[in-house]
Amino acid sequence: MADDISRKNETDIDAADRPARRAFLKNTGLTALGAYVGMNIPFEGNLMALAQGMSEEDIMAGKDGLILMNDRPLNAETPAHLLDADVTPYEHFFIRNNGLVPDTALDMDAEGWTLTIDGEVDKPLELSIADLKEQFEVVTNRLVVECGGNGRAFFTPGASGNQWTTGAVGCADWTGVRLSDVLNAAGVKDSAVYTAHYGNDPHLSGDPEKDAISRGAPIEKALAEGGMIAWEMNGEPIPAVHGFPLRVIIPGYPGSASQKYLNRIWVRDQVHDGAKMTGYSYRLPAYPVAPGTEVPEEDMVIMTEMPVKSLITFPKSGTETPAGQAAEVRGHAWAGSGDIEAVDVSIDFGQTWISATLEPAKNKFAWQRFRADVTLPEAGYYEVWARATDMNGIAQPPVVPGWNPRGYGNNMQHRIALIAT
Amino acid sequence: MKEKLTFLRAALCASVVVYATASVAQEAYDPMRPAGNPLSPGASVQTPDAPEVELDPELGNLPVGPGAEDTYYQCVACHSTAIIRQQRLSDERWDYLWTWMIEDQGMYEPDDETKDVILNYLKTHFSSER
Repeated sequence: MADDISRKNETDIDAADRPARRAFLKNTGLTALGAYVGMNIPFEGNLMALAQGMSEEDIMAGKDGLILMNDRPLNAETPAHLLDADVTPYEHFFIRNNGLVPDTALDMDAEGWTLTIDGEVDKPLELSIADLKEQFEVVTNRLVVECGGNGRAFFTPGASGNQWTTGAVGCADWTGVRLSDVLNAAGVKDSAVYTAHYGNDPHLSGDPEKDAISRGAPIEKALAEGGMIAWEMNGEPIPAVHGFPLRVIIPGYPGSASQKYLNRIWVRDQVHDGAKMTGYSYRLPAYPVAPGTEVPEEDMVIMTEMPVKSLITFPKSGTETPAGQAAEVRGHAWAGSGDIEAVDVSIDFGQTWISATLEPAKNKFAWQRFRADVTLPEAGYYEVWARATDMNGIAQPPVVPGWNPRGYGNNMQHRIALIAT
Repeated sequence: MKEKLTFLRAALCASVVVYATASVAQEAYDPMRPAGNPLSPGASVQTPDAPEVELDPELGNLPVGPGAEDTYYQCVACHSTAIIRQQRLSDERWDYLWTWMIEDQGMYEPDDETKDVILNYLKTHFSSER
């Protein structure tokens, strides 16, 4: 208890050296901060955030309609009807942070930022953002980023972590360079097995020796189509909560592989064992288990490709529509394996299905727009269900698939209520 | 519709159930509502028959009960109570998470008595077993 307070005060002293926007703390001082302990303040005891000179209100100010899951670390998901745009705007893009937002990002200060590429490479590189822009072809790709735990809320018994429902996903235009171009410039050795990604976001405990998160990807995936090192999201510098000034994107993999605040990619000669690569984090049982099974740690394997999925983004669940008249239903479909083959919708709880029209992906790993007209025969309560099928013929299940201890990979069909009047 | 319902809830509290018409009920029904912990931030619609849980605003809205204060001060050193309030786990997972937080995440290790108080509290209020 005394230990907790002293740790906060150390952080506060550190933060008090920061410029203007943190002057609040300088002026109010330690006594005032101490007074917050046990006080009823909005969103309760967010002391580390206060010590950083920001509150989640500040951070969330530019976000619109998101559901706050957790304020420290910051985690917020997007209701389905706010994900209707082809390109998810900043204000509707979900937030999943494992650590604290670093000061460099809060201040949007990229001065002197470098990215190191080292390990199993012929020529280690240290690149400024200007170097990246000059030495490599700059590309813009529309890529889905989805949290591996999206849909966790539906597992029974429950799985630990943020209880995401359907909204830990977004699809933005990312501008940067191809990850493969940068890795190839460094010269990937035959001994390379896995990438290890590092950023400068502080661990929640404040311990500078700990990484909040450091995950990676098999070298084949890192070199494959789609991987990027990005500095822009939707034509603007990547916002603070999404990884300013640089992040890697490993499309089709759990979002945690797409490290924010990126300053190092270490090419390793073994599977990366950084923070949240081991134990139960982003891992699935090696074999099917009954719900609630205690799976030994050594039987957990790393989650790689995200499953096929779709989301009905229009209309909003609970909308009324006239009976006997066609009503448009639309949304997006995507898969970790790449393009989508088909989307079908049902208005009778999956007894019969209607083919939706499906637009092609702007590029691989972008989500695809689907549309269908549905006519509800008589007044009353209906549900619209959506089911996407990927290019391998794998479709979304109607129920929560494969229970696992941490609740990853739930791609059950999305359902909305539609009321015929 | 949701705004309307929120207004009704604010104005009429428990009597909303009485005033809800059949059409209100079907429009408010969310087919994707998780069956999980009603304390979860995502669970915006409380079921009318769910037991009232008294929350302590001075302890980050943790449910009132023995161990709430110890739990609050142990946990908020690193993260807010929002993540705790979302959980519904087996006793074994809580034991595992305790060890993980100490060994992997650098959590301060309290004496055994405090540990028991906190784990009992978590297993009582954020459980898939009871």
